[in-house]
Amino acid sequence: MAESKPRMIFLGPQHPGAPGNVAFKVWLKGEKVVKAELVPGFLHRGFEKMMENRWWEVDVVLSPRYCVEDPDNFELAYVLAVEDLFGVEAPEKAKVVRTIVAEMSRIQSHLFWLMHMGGATGARYIPGWAMAAREEILKWYDYVTGHRIYHHYMTPGGIRWNIPKDFKEVTLRALNKVMPIVKDIEDAFINNRILRARTEGIGVVKGYVAVQLNATGPTLRAAGIKYDVRKVDPYEAYRDVDFEIPTGTEGDAHDRIVVRIREIYQSKRIIEQLVERVKPEDLNYRVKMPLLPPPSLPWPAVARHGEGMSRVEAARGEAMVHVVGIKDRKPYRVKLITPSMPLLTTVMDYIIEHEDITIADLPIIVMSLDPCPPDIDR
Amino acid sequence: MSVAEGHAEGKDEVLELIRRSLPPGKFKEVVATRWPRRYIVFIDAWALRPVMEALKVAGFDRFIAIEAIDWYNIEPVFELLYYVESVKLGGPLVIVRTKIPRNNPEIDTIRDIYPLAHWQEIENYEFFGIRFRGHPDLRLWILEDNWEGPPPLRKDFDTVKYVLETYYGGKKWERPVKRREPPPPRGEE
Amino acid sequence: MALKALLLGMKYLFRKPYTMLVPEKEPPMTTERTRGRHLLDMSKCVGCRMCQMVCPADAIKMYKVEGDFKRNPKKIFPGIDFNRCTFCALCVEVCPTGALSMTDITGWYMTTTDTRTNLRSPYDLAAELAKNEKPDFRITITKQTFLYQTKKKG
Repeated sequence: MAESKPRMIFLGPQHPGAPGNVAFKVWLKGEKVVKAELVPGFLHRGFEKMMENRWWEVDVVLSPRYCVEDPDNFELAYVLAVEDLFGVEAPEKAKVVRTIVAEMSRIQSHLFWLMHMGGATGARYIPGWAMAAREEILKWYDYVTGHRIYHHYMTPGGIRWNIPKDFKEVTLRALNKVMPIVKDIEDAFINNRILRARTEGIGVVKGYVAVQLNATGPTLRAAGIKYDVRKVDPYEAYRDVDFEIPTGTEGDAHDRIVVRIREIYQSKRIIEQLVERVKPEDLNYRVKMPLLPPPSLPWPAVARHGEGMSRVEAARGEAMVHVVGIKDRKPYRVKLITPSMPLLTTVMDYIIEHEDITIADLPIIVMSLDPCPPDIDR
Repeated sequence: MSVAEGHAEGKDEVLELIRRSLPPGKFKEVVATRWPRRYIVFIDAWALRPVMEALKVAGFDRFIAIEAIDWYNIEPVFELLYYVESVKLGGPLVIVRTKIPRNNPEIDTIRDIYPLAHWQEIENYEFFGIRFRGHPDLRLWILEDNWEGPPPLRKDFDTVKYVLETYYGGKKWERPVKRREPPPPRGEE
Repeated sequence: MALKALLLGMKYLFRKPYTMLVPEKEPPMTTERTRGRHLLDMSKCVGCRMCQMVCPADAIKMYKVEGDFKRNPKKIFPGIDFNRCTFCALCVEVCPTGALSMTDITGWYMTTTDTRTNLRSPYDLAAELAKNEKPDFRITITKQTFLYQTKKKG
């Protein structure tokens, strides 16, 4: 037994323990995981090239589609980058509404992840509850933006439609339906002894190591590092909103779960503050965009070309969009920088190297990192 | 909008820190951009490794991504952008920009300085064909098993045409499909 | 703790199921803003091809229709392939004359041929809308249906 060679198996892409469209080559020695290698590319659609072939404002339709679970934060990133390039500033109302939509997206993304987490740990009641709560937010999205999953509600220069008349009531009603379910999940799942036994002390990424592994998002914060782009580089309406950054202490899988649940409460707090500030009567929600990006001033490296950049905190971590425009209707280059790649490569490798992981722990660790594999492929 | 029309009023401590900590003679210029707390370092390709090492020592600890821009018609170069941010200093972002010739795209690897760079370099290898000197594992990773052809994100390569010819038999977005018959109405035998 | 989880589970056990029986009992969920199947006012359309140019999914093709259309000398009208359409409403936004608009008809309504459920087929819908609304309204969907409607008119 002792001299047996590691045996390679595939985990995913069609496996309830795999986080979506991604596979792992897992080398096993008995039950112990020796090495896991990521096999991405099952959902590669070439977004960066596609966006180079479409107009600036049409690319908004593509921009949320590389992450199903958290579309609006990525849409916001693209819209902000284009606004930055064109030198257009969205009206105050549009900024607030976009922030609300992005925070709703964060809540529904975390609820979607709770479903996965319940599935990975075998708690079969959790997926139903979490999806029911997410459904309320999807209904809210349908009411406000017109679609359930990909909303295309933002556009460079503002939002595409005015908010409905009873926006405030509808938003608060949706939150009031979601929050009791989140509370129930917290009581029945997060503080559950079985879940604690399965997740505590597993997948530890603690302290400054997380930064060295280039991790981001809740994984970084669960490691105890208070770092959130919404605070360090505020965009949109986050400047004058009061909220906290939840952090963990141990950096294990359970801490990551707790951090995400607490982020849901913080998002609720943000939305409740912002919803007071938008008025449906205010019709100044969209400014007209010029067709072409303005000719740029010369600057040291590449003259004649303008660039726009944005940096947002998506549900999984820091996301950036960098657009380069020559004087054209189409972008010259769009670079989508997404948060999931470090989670499944460097962080996974570190965990497997430093801990004794069995095959039963692997889905829990992968899910607690909450990757969104499509944004690795793009 | 130009990027470098800085907000130069007042003394910028992070800018001073970057200037101080980079090895002299190895970089061309450090500028503050019009975005607050984002800086650009222009370097030559040979100086990449010393500059990245110095940045890591100076506290820019979280590596974000490598971006490649193909300035095909405008200038025969690939421009590489290395995004690094500092968690220690509370969020400033540095973009290290360099150019490599388009006909011989080669640059040193930094995979031992930042671990994520290993995977980012593979990504840039498969999408742009940039070779990273000293990287042991350059291969198709995201495009594995799905692609035979030149690097797809280069500007001189018509990806859509290639895909239509290779994978769709020359037809535009239509594979030769069999029409399905509509299902019979329910309850009928 | 485990007991509390059990009690909470019991609470959910006695609730009405959250799932809906679509299409047997209930229609698909829509709101008044839901972006669904397009409507084309053929008397307003000028055949400018703006919708075709803006479409990110390349779903719109222009079809020639015989008939007397004063504002459309080329007699070309957009036909939307709903296998490709993403319902982003950019074509509605870009339309200079307001000829294209959107209904809240989504989901199975658009593809079904089954007459036994409460879903209506595209043909029924087209006939119904032509009856109730202004007679100029036509639903543009796939090529087959489009031809069907125009044939019926002529």
